[in-house]
Formats: sequence, structure tokens, C-alpha cells
Amino acid sequence: MLAFALSRLARAAITILFVVTFAFIVLRLSGDPALLIMSVDAPPEAIEAFRKAWGLDRPIWEQYLAYAWHALTGDFGKSMRDGRPAIDLVLERLPATLAITLPALALKLGIGIPAGIYAALHRNSLADRLTMMVSVAGFTMPSFVLALVLVLIFGVTLGWLPASGADSVWHAVLPIVTLGTAGAAIMARFTRSAMLEVLGQPYIRAASAKGLAWWLVVAKHALPNAAIPTVTIIGFMVGSLVAGAVIVESVFAWPGIGRLLVSAVANRDLAVVQALLMVIAAWMVLANLCVDLAYGWLDPRVRSGAR
Amino acid sequence: MSSPLLEAIDIRRQYNVRTAGGVFGRKAVLQAVAGVSFRIDMGRTLGLVGESGCGKSTTGKLALGLIPPSSGEIRFVGSTLPAIGSAAWRDMRRRMQMVYQDPLGSLDRRLQVGPQIAEPLIIHDIGTPAERRERAYATMASVGLQKHHFERYPHELSGGQRQRVVLARALITEPKLIVCDEPISALDVSIQAQVVNLLLDLQDRLGLTYLFISHDLKVVRQVSHDVAVMYLGRIVETGQAEALFRAPAHPYTRALVSAIPSLGEKRERLILSGDPPNPVDVPAGCAFHPRCPFAIARCRSEAPALRRQPDGRAVACHRADDDAIALAA
Amino acid sequence: MTVQDSVAATPPAPPSFLRRTRRALVAWPPVVVISAAWLILMVITAAGAEWLAPYPFTAMDLKARLSVPLLMGGDFAHPLGTDELGRDVLSRLISSIRMSLLIAFFGTLIAASLGTVLGFLAAHFRGRIEQVVLMAIDFQASMPFMIIALSVLAFFGNSLILFICLMGFHSWERYARITRGLTLAANEQGYAAAVRQLGAKPGRIYGLHILPNIASTLIVSMTLTFPEIILLESGLSFLGLGVQPPLTSLGNMVGYGREYITRAPWIMLAPSFVIVMTTLSISMLGDWLRDRLDPTLR
Repeated sequence: MLAFALSRLARAAITILFVVTFAFIVLRLSGDPALLIMSVDAPPEAIEAFRKAWGLDRPIWEQYLAYAWHALTGDFGKSMRDGRPAIDLVLERLPATLAITLPALALKLGIGIPAGIYAALHRNSLADRLTMMVSVAGFTMPSFVLALVLVLIFGVTLGWLPASGADSVWHAVLPIVTLGTAGAAIMARFTRSAMLEVLGQPYIRAASAKGLAWWLVVAKHALPNAAIPTVTIIGFMVGSLVAGAVIVESVFAWPGIGRLLVSAVANRDLAVVQALLMVIAAWMVLANLCVDLAYGWLDPRVRSGAR
Repeated sequence: MSSPLLEAIDIRRQYNVRTAGGVFGRKAVLQAVAGVSFRIDMGRTLGLVGESGCGKSTTGKLALGLIPPSSGEIRFVGSTLPAIGSAAWRDMRRRMQMVYQDPLGSLDRRLQVGPQIAEPLIIHDIGTPAERRERAYATMASVGLQKHHFERYPHELSGGQRQRVVLARALITEPKLIVCDEPISALDVSIQAQVVNLLLDLQDRLGLTYLFISHDLKVVRQVSHDVAVMYLGRIVETGQAEALFRAPAHPYTRALVSAIPSLGEKRERLILSGDPPNPVDVPAGCAFHPRCPFAIARCRSEAPALRRQPDGRAVACHRADDDAIALAA
Repeated sequence: MTVQDSVAATPPAPPSFLRRTRRALVAWPPVVVISAAWLILMVITAAGAEWLAPYPFTAMDLKARLSVPLLMGGDFAHPLGTDELGRDVLSRLISSIRMSLLIAFFGTLIAASLGTVLGFLAAHFRGRIEQVVLMAIDFQASMPFMIIALSVLAFFGNSLILFICLMGFHSWERYARITRGLTLAANEQGYAAAVRQLGAKPGRIYGLHILPNIASTLIVSMTLTFPEIILLESGLSFLGLGVQPPLTSLGNMVGYGREYITRAPWIMLAPSFVIVMTTLSISMLGDWLRDRLDPTLR
């Protein structure tokens, strides 16, 4: 188990290193970082000081090391727009993003998993087909379309809920519902196929042939085994929570990091973009790490096996 | 005495592997082939036998130059095989060919078999399209396929017919050497004999030289002039086929031979205990000693060399000329 | 064959008519037929955008600003209404369909070619090159592509060519994975090893033998990539970071229409409908193709 955890940790570290390298390469390819990160009208001595601090006058691999060091310590320079450290800007927006994405996650799991299990247990019933149809729609409908349709219905036509802003709890309802609906559809589809896979296995038939009550077979044998692949998709969802909020936050003018990313990209505020890239990557990696460890705990084969 | 067509001189092939545990696993070296030497004369057949995993297939690939040996040398008509992938190496393919265990897998299922039989001619830029077609028909006839098979797809043919297609593709460039890697073990028993007879017949007519790899000793006995027995990457006994099968000298050979089912004569069976050891963890001394009923202390410490016997055979066993074993046989 | 006949020919007797209809419905499910019809309509629209559009897509008609579409009581001059500047929504929609389909088409093509080539390289050379490709695949899979795309746009700014190339980087790793896996299997034992052993050069092995054998799997994957790129492109364009005005794409139109959601919801509803219908149709058709072409993929 220890070797397993260590190898996963090593993998997480490598991924972070990848992201740093990616940012470094893209930054170097796009021109003089000093001019890009500082604004063009910054005083020459400030630019010179930046070059010195980031080691831009030294050989490329030293620059890389310096860059990696800055990145890992969270120093991405100052935002071009309001002059504050980029990382601070990002971190202060994080709670707002979590305030809509965590309830949305609960919605995804709370609706998606039961719906998927129900559909699998009543295969080819009306409920099953309905679930699958809704889930296909959830796959193919872009989140901004869903968001705008919800705004049109509940905000404009019925006038029940505010359409944008973040002034009250009610403002969070539509963003959460938008994020949750699409995710629940994916979750339902995935849970259903995982369940169907497990229900087709010989040990399920063996268990029910033993004379065990069907609900006991499902609860004791089917669910724990179907949980294993489901954890993967949950991990991916947790990992992409922050990234998935980009469009929804923009539609509802929600002051989270997704909206910050969009405005930073539009203004080419590179210090902020890099800080966001690292924070999102760190979040993803952390989520994946947790899933891997959960996997090892759920599935003894992974723990002891070679890979 | 004819000249050697193929000669292997102390060839070795090792793979770096990791034991279980991902990046934290222990590094280890797997000796798939650990110092093998043999020669095959023009027009003869060398049978290579052994349990699965003993390195006989790897030896076959090494002999054809499909993978490079870690050390040692392969000589074909007196000269070392060229580097893999070079123009000379590609040209050499015309003269040495391979027949596989799984004929369906070794054919492209999206192409008709006729063009596949003619493909080596295109690859080596031989003849015009019309000539290639004629040669494909002629080769098909020589392996017992009909003209109308030309337009068939592999999945439309029977197992025996597919193996004939593979043979025709191998023969169309008129090679000298053919390596047959378990050529009949995937076929129905009723068809095996046909294919074996075809191989023998082709050898008579075309003067082919075979390296015949199989775990089926009965077939090996039928087709081979000489036989080499492999155990864990080494040849433990080699010699003229009839002599070797009549009086096997190495305990391992003896166990294999005694396991051949035969009608009539009742023989004492020598049954081996245990499985062949992990090739990553080859036992010290004679690799066979943990399973050998005749092992003595010396077998555990000292690896026996392949020594030539008075009758021309070579055996790698400390007790090969021990009377006690001869009596037990 | 018989199924197609039954659809085309008039059935001779009533009982067999019912049976034939049922058989035809099984072979050609209505959902698939509708999806195919919609996609054909989209392709025709994209190909004939110049002739089909009643007005140039940038033409303003200030006298007919925010005019109502036909369904909501408008007139035939502007069947889908007009926007704030009096531009004809139908004409803009047709132009957007062409733009979005073109981007998705080239994006899919780039992703598939790039991934296939990298997969071949990894399987052919093994060793270092394979390690590098595998690492790149891992990296691509470990970050949501939306984030990667956004940061590239931030660093390099935006132009149509760059944007299309960027879309081409979406899901290349899927093709690289498939190609590498299938090629390794074929190289290890089987037809590719056999042809190599015959002395064939790599170009012949990969181009004439392996590629045709894995093509159906790759095509099925392309039916997954195509709608994904449409969604990605429209998402970025919706945020104002994709296709830039005066050019227009479906996402672009939705983004613009969102400003007028209270007064003129049709500006945003028309392109939304097209996006959903198109991605839905491709998914349906892709599922159906997968079942028919490639029973190994589920």
C-alpha cells in the first residue's frame, strides 16, 4: 500500500511539473515575458528589475529552474490590471467558485447515482429510457444554452429567480442548477452502465441463485463493485469542478475564478492566467490523487497489483 | 558434408524487466536465450523443442534476424546478418521466411489472399503485375491451392487453406530458409498431417531448409533430421533425431520423450515435478536441477556445459555418462 | 439489401406491409433517419451558404431592428427575425453554421491526423519517443482542454487560423492512444509483423496495412470528436474568446443574443437550437455507426 501511495504521489508531482513546463514553454514562445507580464507602459527600470528577478538574462535552463521555483512558491508576478499579486486575486475568488460548484457536485451525485442505479435495475422500462434520453440531452446541450434557457424561463418569463449577480443566496440557485443538471446526466449514464456491467457478472447470478433476497444481492454485491468505476468519474468531476465553472460563472456574472480566467484571458493579464493555471492544475492533481487512493482502498487488486 | 546454411554462435537475448510494484519494482534481467549455438545444413531440418517460455520462439526470431541478439552472431551462408531495417536486411528477407502459428492473424483480413501472396514480389520489386499474378498462381498450385482461391478473403478459407496461403506467401520469393514457429499447433488434428506432408514434400521438391519450432515431439520426430532440446534459454541436448528420440541422454529430454503417447509398447514414464522456474530467477548450477530426479550436489553448484558424446550427440548434464542413470532409463 | 428494397418499393400485400415496415424501422430507426436528414441539411447549408442566405450576413437594415420571427407573428422578409442592428438572423445563422462546421471539420481532421501520426511514431520507434508521446497523452488527459485552450489564447492572442489549430489539439490523444495500441498489437504478432518480416518498408506497413485496418475505429472516434469540438468552439466563442466579429459562429451568435434575452430571445434561441440539434444528431448517428461498424467498442 505504501509503495502504491508513493507511486501515485510521484505521478501527481510529475503532472504539476508538466503544467509548469507547459506554461514556461508557452510563455517563452509567445515573446518577451517581461513585456508580456508587465504592461507595455511599465517604466524601463521596472522591466529590467523583473528580468533580473526572473533570471531572463541567464541561460534557458536556468530560466526554467527559476521559473519553476517562482511557480511552485506561488509567485507569478503582479496583475497587470490592479497591480496586486496574481495569486492573491485567484485565491480570494476561490470560495465563490466553491460556493456554487460544491452544491452542484452534491446535486450531480445525489440525482445521478440513484437515477443510474434505478435505470439499471429496471432496464428497458419507461423510466430507464426516459433517464437515458435526458442524459443524452445533458451530454449534447452546451452549458451556456442550458443556462440561458433557465434564465429565460425562471428569470425573465416567471421572474422567480435573479438572472445574474451574487447579492443573495437566491442568486446561486440558477448557476448550481445549471452545473448540476448536466453533471447529473453524465453521472446517471455512467452509473447505469457500471451497474449493468456488474449485474451481468456470474457472481451476481451465483449470489441470487443461493437464495439471497434480490435487494440484498444488489446492496451487498452489486453496489460495492459498481462503485469502483464510478469513483473514477467522480474524481474527474471533482477535478474539473473549477474548470467547469468557467462558462456558467460568465453567464451569471458570478464572481468566481472561472469568470476571473475569462476576463484575464480577454485582457491578456498573463500573470493572473498563469496563477489560475497552476491553481486549477493543483486542484485537479489533488482530486486525482484522492481518487487513486480511494481506488486502492476500494479495490484490493489495484493496491497489490503491479500497476 | 554439405555447407552450413545457417549458423548460430553463442547467441544471447536478454530483456530488462521490472518485478511487480511499478516504478518501485526491482530491476531484473530476463535471459530469454542464454548462449545458444547450432548449425543447419542446406536442405536439412533442425527441430527445436521445449516447453512454452523456454526461448524457442525467440531463438527463431533471432535466427531470422527479426530481433537483434544481445551478444553472439548469426551467420547465413557464411556472412553475418545485416543490421535490422537496413536495405541489405530488407533484401535478405527474400531468402529467409517465416511461417506462423496463427495463419489468420498473420494475414491482413481486409485484403484478398492472392494479392497478399504476391505482395513479397511487389515489396522486392520483382516482375510486372502480370508476371506476379502468374507466379502467385504457380505458387498457389504448388501448395495445393486452387486458382479460385485468389480472390478469397482470409476469413473465407479454412484453417488448413490459410496456412497454405501463408506458406505460398513465404515461398513466392524462392527462399532458402524457412522458420516454422509452431506451424500446425493452431490447426485441427485432421489437417495437421496434411500440412506436415506438404512441408516435407516442398522440402523434397525445392531443397528447402527448415528451422522447425514446436512443442509437439511427435511431429518434430517426423520432420526433423536433427533436434535441439531447449530448457530455460539453453540447449540441453542436441543430436540426430532418431538417435535422440530412441535413447534420450538428458533427464529433461527423457521426460519429454516418455510423455509422447504411443500405441503398443509400454514404457516407464518419467514425470517431472513442478513447473519450469521463472526465467528471471534461474536456479544456480544446472537450471534443471530442482526438477531433476537424478540431481546430485554438483548439479546445484556448477552449470554443466554442452559436451559432445561419442555418438555425435551433445548433452549438458553432469551425469550424462553415469551408469546409474543409464540403468534407470 | 432486402431492407432497402422494402423501403423503396411499394409493398404488394397489406400483412407483409406491416412486417416490412417493422423491419425497416429496426434497420433504419427513425431517430437515425432524422439525425441523418438534419446533418445533410446542415452540410448543404454550409456548402451553399452564399446562395441560401437571403441577405449578406453583415447587412444592416436599421428600419427593421429587432423584428419578430415568423413563429412569433413576424413576416416573410425576416423569417427568423432581426437583431439590434437590423441584421437578418437567418442569414447570420446560415453563415454561422458554415463557420462552426468548418472549424469542427478541420479541427477533427487535425486531431485525427496528429494523433494517428504520433501513435504510429510511438509504436514504431518505442523507447524515448514512445515515452515522450505517452507523457504528452497523460498531460493532455490530466487537464481540462478548456483551460489549456484558454491559456493558449491568452498567451498568443486570437486569429482564426490559430483558433482552428487549437481546436485540432482537442482529443488528439484519443487517436494517439488507439493507434498506438492497435499498432503495437499488430507489430507484436500478426499481419503487420508478417509484412515487416517480408521486407516491407514502414510506409507500406503503416499506410497499406495498418491504417486501413484501424480506420473504422478511428472514424467512430471522429464522430465523438466532432460534436465535442462544436461544443468547445461555441463555448469559447460565446465567451467572446473564439471566433471574432465581424465573422460569426453559432456560439458567437448566442453570446451576442444573450444581451437581448429579455427583448429578443429569438436571436439566441435560433443558434442554440442548431447547436443542440447538430451535436445530438452526430451523437445518435455515431452510436448507431459504432454498433454497426465496430462491435468491439461499446
